[in-house]
Amino acid sequence: MSTARAVTATLPRGSLVARAWAGLGDAVAPLSNPAGRPLTRTVKLILDPLVLRPVLNPEFAAGAVAAEHADALVSRITDAGPVLAATASWFVVLKKERRRRWITDGNPQDLYFQRCFELATAHGEPGPDAADVAAAVLEEVHEREGPTVAALRDHLTDPVNADELTGLLEVTWAAARPFAPASPVAGSSAVASSAPASSAAGSPAPTTARFLATCAVAPDRDLFRALVTGLAGTAGATDHDRPGVALAQGLTARDVPVRPELGRAASKANLPKPFDRSILERLFAPLTNAFQRAGLVDVPTLVRREIARSAGPWQLADEESRLVLVLGRDASADLAGASAGGPGSAAARLRSRWEREAYVHRVLRMSTAVPPEVRADVRGVREAYLRRLWVRLHGRELRHDTVTFDQVWDVLDGVLRSVILDQRDRLRSVLEREAVA
Amino acid sequence: MRVTRGTDIVVGDWPTSPEVVAVLECSGALLAWDVLADAAVPAARVHDPERASEWLWEVYGEAADRILGGAAEVEVSGPADGRVRDACRRAAQLNWAEAWWPASVTAGVPPLDPVLLHAELAVALSTVEHLLDDPDAVERALRSVVPLDVPTSDPDLDALAEQVTALAEDYGVASAPAEVPSRAGFALAAGGVGLAGTTALSGTSTVDWTLVPHGVVDAAAPARWAVVRRQGSTVLEVSVVPGPRPGARLAARFDQVEVALDGVDEAGWITGSAPVSAAVLLLLPPQRRVLTVYAPDFADPAALDPTAPDPGAEPRRAAIISYARSRTTSPAATLTERRAR
Repeated sequence: MSTARAVTATLPRGSLVARAWAGLGDAVAPLSNPAGRPLTRTVKLILDPLVLRPVLNPEFAAGAVAAEHADALVSRITDAGPVLAATASWFVVLKKERRRRWITDGNPQDLYFQRCFELATAHGEPGPDAADVAAAVLEEVHEREGPTVAALRDHLTDPVNADELTGLLEVTWAAARPFAPASPVAGSSAVASSAPASSAAGSPAPTTARFLATCAVAPDRDLFRALVTGLAGTAGATDHDRPGVALAQGLTARDVPVRPELGRAASKANLPKPFDRSILERLFAPLTNAFQRAGLVDVPTLVRREIARSAGPWQLADEESRLVLVLGRDASADLAGASAGGPGSAAARLRSRWEREAYVHRVLRMSTAVPPEVRADVRGVREAYLRRLWVRLHGRELRHDTVTFDQVWDVLDGVLRSVILDQRDRLRSVLEREAVA
Repeated sequence: MRVTRGTDIVVGDWPTSPEVVAVLECSGALLAWDVLADAAVPAARVHDPERASEWLWEVYGEAADRILGGAAEVEVSGPADGRVRDACRRAAQLNWAEAWWPASVTAGVPPLDPVLLHAELAVALSTVEHLLDDPDAVERALRSVVPLDVPTSDPDLDALAEQVTALAEDYGVASAPAEVPSRAGFALAAGGVGLAGTTALSGTSTVDWTLVPHGVVDAAAPARWAVVRRQGSTVLEVSVVPGPRPGARLAARFDQVEVALDGVDEAGWITGSAPVSAAVLLLLPPQRRVLTVYAPDFADPAALDPTAPDPGAEPRRAAIISYARSRTTSPAATLTERRAR
């Protein structure tokens, strides 16, 4: 596919950004890495959304930039020089104040970068009152109450609430089954009329396979939409009532998923499989992360929504998330067996990552025998994959960060990367424990 | 450099043996240096040209465009500013050192300090974060960093410690408490030592590095075996020199005989013995008198292909050992290598 690239007509955006950034000099050093390039988060949280704004200026989107836009891109960054320099100064001030207050929560780049840009826009360079301003910002960022684990536990274990919520769980679960989608989508009939023109020959029904075929390079917005409205995600959960289906997907340890408990306790190290988690366990992890907690609604609402979610198809609330889970299920199906997806498809790409890992594994001298502690993870990579995907989609639902058609591939790919890196960490720690013992 | 196109685009000669590969996992491509070739420009295996195009110019300069554009041969002069490529090289080298550094008392290759290695790796990764496959690579690396013991009399170490502290602060990662296994913490049960006997047959074999975790056995010392008659019975005795980080359970295989290496002799060698049938063992043809030392929880020697022994393996290990020795005094080496003690 690289042959389609015109050799001289485009430039990598990264090189243009680096060139412009170098022109800003030491003033932006706090936002730069040791090689003088903008930090990854400088690009992601500041340059992209606040300076280049590819949503408004598609010619500045990541990837190849047409040569005729190159100068415009560079001067856009150059023109933002003063505000970027002030952003950098504010970041230094905030870090200093953070240190003074012994705050260790969260990643400062994630938490403060956009705040610094706002401060730079409103105040310019930090002035004599900088420390006070910084203190106020830190207070706001870190004292944003947000629901806490303690509040959640109190709410769920309060006897009055507990009775009512248990009742709600029962009613919701009794009403919810069985899942019967309006029309079977992945098979044949539904919404064929809305299929995009891109599929030249007789526009076949929207199927997950067709979306997966191109989602890595040219995600099809209309097809994604058609799959959402056709309830392809919900349809994919219809067989969860059949014994062993959700079990084989790694989402439960039971033959058939059962209604979750409210729960009284949770520990990060020992979470059951997704469908076996109590309501408390489902909400626990997002609440322990300062960055994630900030955007969450109050505890009672959170709990009611979680109860409703638990009774939904895939135990998720948004059709988009359900669809992405079905896409992940299909794309990961041939991770280890025979390859089903065509070249360039999501399935072929995931498989290539998995095969690459076998190579990297040898080069990094990771163990080739699988110790019993991690055997289930390594052998059951697909189950681990679907579990991780569920957790990620669930977390995004809580933050109202629904996966869009053009994010699907990054999510599907990122989940496999994360499963693989976790396996490496676990193999390493098994070895190290043994060495210490 | 040659560019070949199959499922992946391969730039240059991709190194074959795992133990010579210094690898870096980048977004859309792997970069690899063959440590024995010691070239500045790496080989690349591009699996996602779209992603790789964002940063490939940092490594190949202007040639990046032609690599992705379909050229079969490119002249690589390197980027105008080599800081990113150099940091890629450092990160890859540290990945290699963490896996394959052949610490050996007998060959005079001092062990690396894992604390220093993790610190230097975190800094190198932070310099190339924008082109890594793992978006959380820096945080991940920082989580295995333990505080360096500073100040020292070594300004390079102090500077590194300062960099790591700043980095940890920028990413909001608190450093982990020190819990690195050291030689001092190592103790095997002593036993089975000092029984005399008559040696009927003995020999040595080198240890295949891929069968044991890094640092468990001395990378250069051979494993020794002997068939000993003692008090009317015959035993196979095996011993191997420990490396800087012993502790993993070891075993040895000699033809059909399995020996658990669970003892330690007065010289500190890791030992084991197993009763054998003298007749069977003494009648073995010489080419089957091969001792294979391995860590059962780490690798299974049965997975090796016995019909395809690699005749280059031993010279390659020797070359890596002398390469490592040279790195300890090379100004081009990482601080970790130069501070090996």
